[in-house]
Amino acid sequence: MNTRDWDSILLYGNSWRKDPFRSLVNFNFSGSHALARLSRSGEIAVTFSDPWDAENGSAKLATDFACAFSGGASAVAGLEFMEERFVAACGRLPVSATGDVEELRRVKTAEEIGYIQQACDLADRGYQRFVEAAEPGLREFELVAEVEAFLKENGAEDNFMLIASGGTEVVGMKPPTDRILQKGDSITTELTPQVNGYYAQICRTLVLGDPSPGQLQSFAIFSEAQQAAQDLIKPGITAAAAARAQNDVFRKHGYGDYTGAKYTRVRGHCLGLYPDETPHILEDVEYVLKQDMLVIAHPNTYLPLSGYMVFGDTLLLTESGNIRLNKTEKKLFIK
Amino acid sequence: MKRGLITWDKAELPPSVFEARLVRARAALAKHDLPALLVYSDVRRSTEGRHLTNFMPYWNRSLIVIPRENGPVLLCGLSPRVYPWIKSVTVFEEIRPASKLVPTLLQLCAERGWIKLGVLDLAGLPHEIELPLEVSDIKLDLTDEAEIAMHRRAAQMAREILAAELANGAGLTDYQFSGRLERAFRWAGAEDLVLLFSTGDSAPRPARGSMLGDQYSVAVALEYRGHWVRITRAHTSDEAAKMLQDAFAAAEKVSGGIFALHVEIKYGGGRLFHGDTCYNGSAL
Repeated sequence: MNTRDWDSILLYGNSWRKDPFRSLVNFNFSGSHALARLSRSGEIAVTFSDPWDAENGSAKLATDFACAFSGGASAVAGLEFMEERFVAACGRLPVSATGDVEELRRVKTAEEIGYIQQACDLADRGYQRFVEAAEPGLREFELVAEVEAFLKENGAEDNFMLIASGGTEVVGMKPPTDRILQKGDSITTELTPQVNGYYAQICRTLVLGDPSPGQLQSFAIFSEAQQAAQDLIKPGITAAAAARAQNDVFRKHGYGDYTGAKYTRVRGHCLGLYPDETPHILEDVEYVLKQDMLVIAHPNTYLPLSGYMVFGDTLLLTESGNIRLNKTEKKLFIK
Repeated sequence: MKRGLITWDKAELPPSVFEARLVRARAALAKHDLPALLVYSDVRRSTEGRHLTNFMPYWNRSLIVIPRENGPVLLCGLSPRVYPWIKSVTVFEEIRPASKLVPTLLQLCAERGWIKLGVLDLAGLPHEIELPLEVSDIKLDLTDEAEIAMHRRAAQMAREILAAELANGAGLTDYQFSGRLERAFRWAGAEDLVLLFSTGDSAPRPARGSMLGDQYSVAVALEYRGHWVRITRAHTSDEAAKMLQDAFAAAEKVSGGIFALHVEIKYGGGRLFHGDTCYNGSAL
């Protein structure tokens, strides 16, 4: 705040994007809106839109939440997704503090890393439950229900999860459908439980029954690509280099066409209070990775050999390399 | 994110329901002499877009454009790889990829010759959706018989599952009980779920490992096929349950529309909560 000459900043969160608020006040609110006002002297004032949050968080209540913004501030983290009526209530238009606050959030404290390790442990156990529960005859949404129940029983606040099942016709993941799982299916999932505000992720592919030669060949490429990123990632490496390391493996095997936006989104991303934090691991992102950042490297994409496939682990950047926080075996799961 | 079953059961919500809603939206456009209506949609704010098109974003943000003369268009931040699935659960026939929403909207406006737009709840747009166009705020009544019927179905589901499960929480932690409820609700087709618990010493709050004893309250916010309801129930004595129902009956007559209402009493040294989703003064 001193560098920017900001007298006060607001950290806004809503029920989808709680992260700017929780980066200062790690309180899991359940209502629509939350706002923390931080003064340069370090005083924090918190307002919620929901009476139960206000009571449980010993904070102010503003049922007309625009009132929480009266008086404005120098800058706002979360300005981009604030409703225009809230921005108008600030009076003079504040500048965005979103980028500055996100940069502060990227390097984690020991306490934050501890929460992410807990989330990784839960992701590992959740994936074990996923494998146990998956069987021919079950519908995709029923499988997700079983995993969701397990994660919540074991303390997850929330979970980001995508799934797909089938063969070479599957081009991406989405929320679960009522498709019935069948023998021979590839079942892909990104499992991302949240513990004490912090997300960790695991990506694995499970084949029901004997895998086809195409599924085995495909997984070998994914495994090599993920390992290439894991071997490379350390402080000083760019996100672009981490993406290139993965994509080069696909190119080497003749599948470079499947590393672009038509077939995949990103080759990984950062993790923290949001499950898809920036920088994204992409060949055009020159951000230099730092010690104590959390990154998942996942070369998830479509290949004609197998259909969409996923494989990835959460990595903690250390002084000279990285540590894989997931303990789940790095293999194509077969059941 | 939404990770329950997102689907479109056309026996439950026939296409004619959406056709009628789009007719109403177009009538509002005609009244204001506007060529198209813009509706913002994201994970948190999907009610309006879902009402008009059955689109429920599980992640990311989108703009829904309803032209006065043609079918609705979805400008979508999600990958084109999921568009076939989106088309299977919505009324959209045209979806355009839009990693940057506003430039894609402006391109559409240029193609169609639009220089002004109606915007549903203009003041509710996220700040980053800056529109360099002439825009008018449009209000639509989103309550129709189908909307009320779907909320009623969601409320019934929540009440039935809570009635079957509520007593099973005694002796469990709120984590364990939330897992049990998640399983029941998601197997029944819940799209999204927010569970809050009170052991009598606080307002309902997210699970945090507290032991549930002989007396506790559970608030369930359930999204079923895009329709949110909140039902709150207390596990307690018959006497206290009667007191809660009486308090709720006295309270629920004071408001209108579809709304969630709860009441609170003190009993046995603790706080108990009871609530329901109501329409026109009665629980749905």
